[in-house]
Amino acid sequence: MGKDGSASYIPTRLDYAVKWAQKNSLWPMPFGTSCCGIELMSTLSGTYDLSRFGSEVVRFSPRQADLLLVAGTITTKMSPVLRQIYDQMLEPKWVIAMGACSSSGGIFNTYSVLQGIDEIMPVDIYVPGCPPIPEGLIYSILRLQEIVEKGLPRKQMHKLTREEARNAMNFRQAIGESLFESGETGATPSGPAEIKGETR
Amino acid sequence: MSVAFGVIRDRQDQLFLHLEQTYPSHRVLRDKIEEPILWLRSPDELVPMIEALRREPATQFDRLSDITAYDNIDHVDGPKRLIVVYQLYSLQHHTRLRLKIAIDQDESVPTLTVVWGAANWLEREVFDMFGIRFAGHPDLRRILMDERFVGHPLLKEYELEARQPFSDSLPVRIATGFESPEESH
Repeated sequence: MGKDGSASYIPTRLDYAVKWAQKNSLWPMPFGTSCCGIELMSTLSGTYDLSRFGSEVVRFSPRQADLLLVAGTITTKMSPVLRQIYDQMLEPKWVIAMGACSSSGGIFNTYSVLQGIDEIMPVDIYVPGCPPIPEGLIYSILRLQEIVEKGLPRKQMHKLTREEARNAMNFRQAIGESLFESGETGATPSGPAEIKGETR
Repeated sequence: MSVAFGVIRDRQDQLFLHLEQTYPSHRVLRDKIEEPILWLRSPDELVPMIEALRREPATQFDRLSDITAYDNIDHVDGPKRLIVVYQLYSLQHHTRLRLKIAIDQDESVPTLTVVWGAANWLEREVFDMFGIRFAGHPDLRRILMDERFVGHPLLKEYELEARQPFSDSLPVRIATGFESPEESH
């Protein structure tokens, strides 16, 4: 609207406008099952204030959410429930696996724990940490906004084999230099919040 | 009500002496934090023993803290395979007592639901994890694992990483025919 009250227009492409709207209103559906849920609550509340990035409206109904935030250990008995919640969400939808447990099972390589939620659903971003600090989660939301804006494809996480995991010092050799050097963003993961999803 | 730590330690000592005098034919031990451990000789004497411990003024163990078990596969605690552990607490004296029974895998233990209703879910958990059968339990089915789960995961022969995923979850079933202990007494 102009200063004199007359209507004015900002010409833009519709798909750009839709993506801009989507990335700035990622309404999360929290699925906090253990200590990561506490960090998630901290991220949502006043000190860290996730609403600065457009994710303030926490929806406890999957039908109204865009983003499934899985924060915590998922047992094999819980996994059908989580899958049902994912199926109830409307497209477009994104998934963040927060913490070691939901990314890979974490320390719980046991009879009852799912070894990463990517066994039952596609995951956009993995946030490492046990639990991740709130800044890590905020960083992952910012990365997700970039993914939404640019329409980047979802890629599979490289799961370490038993042999590679045993030899963690040679991690970079084990998973190949390509994972670190290539990629659309051209970024090498650095800093405290290292997001696996970004290294495509 | 707060009682000083030294007072409770004295009471634990008195309890230990009392148990040694009252049950001379049983093994009474003490663990590293001086809690008494009373070994029962057979599962049959469990319910009379617990009712006596609950009734007598010198012991008055009126609260069941926990029921658990462990796999005695290396036979540190005798020739039998499984040890069932009952952890009791006295709200009157602030003392604790551990009861242990050694059983084989084909033996069963009498249920404690006739004494404490809280034993219901605790015994279901022990059945789920170890496959120990509690004779007379009103609703002995799995409580933690899925009901279609095969095997008992805390037995040592169960492979640690043997996961059994299911594509759907079973609806919750409420137990039928369960009477509270007050009615059956």
